[in-house]
Amino acid sequence: MKRALSMKQAQPRELVRASVDRNEDLGGGCRLLGLRLAPPASALAVEPGQFFMVRGPWGKHPMLPRAFSALWAEGDGLELLVKVVGHGTRLLGALERGASVSLLGPLGCPFPPSSTEALDLLIGGGSGIPPLCMQARRASKAGLGSQVEIVYGGRSGADLPLLARLEELGVAVFPCTEDGSLGSKGLVTDVLLERLAARGGAARVMACGPLGMLRAIGALSRERDIPCFLSLETGMACGVGLCRGCVVPRADGRGYLCTCTEGPVVDAREVRL
Amino acid sequence: MSVDLSVALHGVRFSTPVLSASGTWGYGIEAEDLLPPGLLGGVVTKGLSLAPRPGNPPPRLCETAAGMLNSIGLENIGVEAFLRDKLPALREAGATVVVNFFGDSLEEYVACAGALDGHAGIAALELNISCPNVSKGGMRYGTEPAMAGALTGACRSVTRLPLWAKLTPNVTDVVSVGRACVEAGADALSLINTLSGIAIDVRTRRPRLGNLFGGLSGPAIKPVALRMVHQVYRAALGVPIVGIGGIVTGEDALEFMLAGADLVQVGTASFAEPTAMLRITREIEVLCEELGVARVTDLKGTLDLSPAP
Repeated sequence: MKRALSMKQAQPRELVRASVDRNEDLGGGCRLLGLRLAPPASALAVEPGQFFMVRGPWGKHPMLPRAFSALWAEGDGLELLVKVVGHGTRLLGALERGASVSLLGPLGCPFPPSSTEALDLLIGGGSGIPPLCMQARRASKAGLGSQVEIVYGGRSGADLPLLARLEELGVAVFPCTEDGSLGSKGLVTDVLLERLAARGGAARVMACGPLGMLRAIGALSRERDIPCFLSLETGMACGVGLCRGCVVPRADGRGYLCTCTEGPVVDAREVRL
Repeated sequence: MSVDLSVALHGVRFSTPVLSASGTWGYGIEAEDLLPPGLLGGVVTKGLSLAPRPGNPPPRLCETAAGMLNSIGLENIGVEAFLRDKLPALREAGATVVVNFFGDSLEEYVACAGALDGHAGIAALELNISCPNVSKGGMRYGTEPAMAGALTGACRSVTRLPLWAKLTPNVTDVVSVGRACVEAGADALSLINTLSGIAIDVRTRRPRLGNLFGGLSGPAIKPVALRMVHQVYRAALGVPIVGIGGIVTGEDALEFMLAGADLVQVGTASFAEPTAMLRITREIEVLCEELGVARVTDLKGTLDLSPAP
């Protein structure tokens, strides 16, 4: 199967202002941030897997914006999942309704769209779920819900803050946790193998989550010759290919791939994680 | 009152005093849709070597207090690809282009300078003797005045283009290095490059950068940069000064001019806000109006050091 990722999204890039419409505590240190674009910006054409560079209304520290994949975008609204892990995400997570943020995006290469030709197994680990949630929702809206299954895993139930939302999408969801506190007990790769066996036929794998999970899923897909697309997370400064800071090694040993412009969604065979 | 923002140096006219700093704006043309390079005083390209280089292993970035560390390691496409794939588009966009270059050896520096000579659309060369992120070349050449002078002289002899030497702050005496470069034929001095530093994750007990050492940039380094620009200015070396280090606002830029800079470069601020260079340019204009300054060049070195009243 040919990958359809190399096409860059032809959209003008500019910094847009948005305001916080909603900031909901999802538990597990995660917040759902609902943003509304400020005029003159009116709508964003966002594909699942694309991301935004987000910066709040603070001074010179932290300096850099933070990269977030879209959880959902429609009209002038954009939803992000913010997991509080450090200073920048703590500030973003504490924004009150009406607070102003700057957005650069959508940026980067998206996941390939769902189709009738293959089953797409979407695998989200913890706070890596947003682009897969958006992918599933798109598929469902396009009448392709039966072509998509979601495997959603974490260490414990607190790591699956979007489970209720996923279960409303009209696609099959298979939660799993390492401690067995929610869904089946085990790793997402265990469930992935079960689902591949249960469904048979042509399948593709799309995943976003911790590095160890992406490595395991990439290796498993390679062994079985299953097309596999991974959404990578790396520290970024510019988000548009200028700084070359967000690179990962290419699988062929020939230098580095730039996550922001050649990813964040990459063919698993292209990178050495 | 309209303010004249243009600056003429060694026969080159810069429409504004604001340029992109090397390594922070690609080759000047990739983000044309965010910021047309013709609107800037100039673009300074990512550092070029003769052959392409892959750069350092990741992670290459880490945010620090009011700034960031990077260890990109001079990843670049090489001189040939730049001349073929980037320079024509920069020319078409009406950009004033300063090409930053470096080498692993004196011979490579000279070959690089020679290869960049004689191409329409290059306004000046910036000799990178200050990158802290590579084991060979880079900063090693910029910390010893004799070596910096020898390198500048060797490059001087193979190009007719104005030659800027970009200085490292990781020295005891920046003036002695600057003086050696000027005596060997540098047409301008740009300073400062990043300050060498490290960052540590206490939970993993590992360095935050793949290369351990990185270069510190951003507002955190502005006072150091201002001090060094002013020291070089007061040494009266007879060449223009390009001030670099933590500039985020028009006021920051004016501080550098008062300290002695003719032009400024903006780097890390563009990551936080891609159009920062245009905003800074507007702020310079507004501030000049407010201060009753008709020409931005009138500000150079006007820091008042007389006893406070």
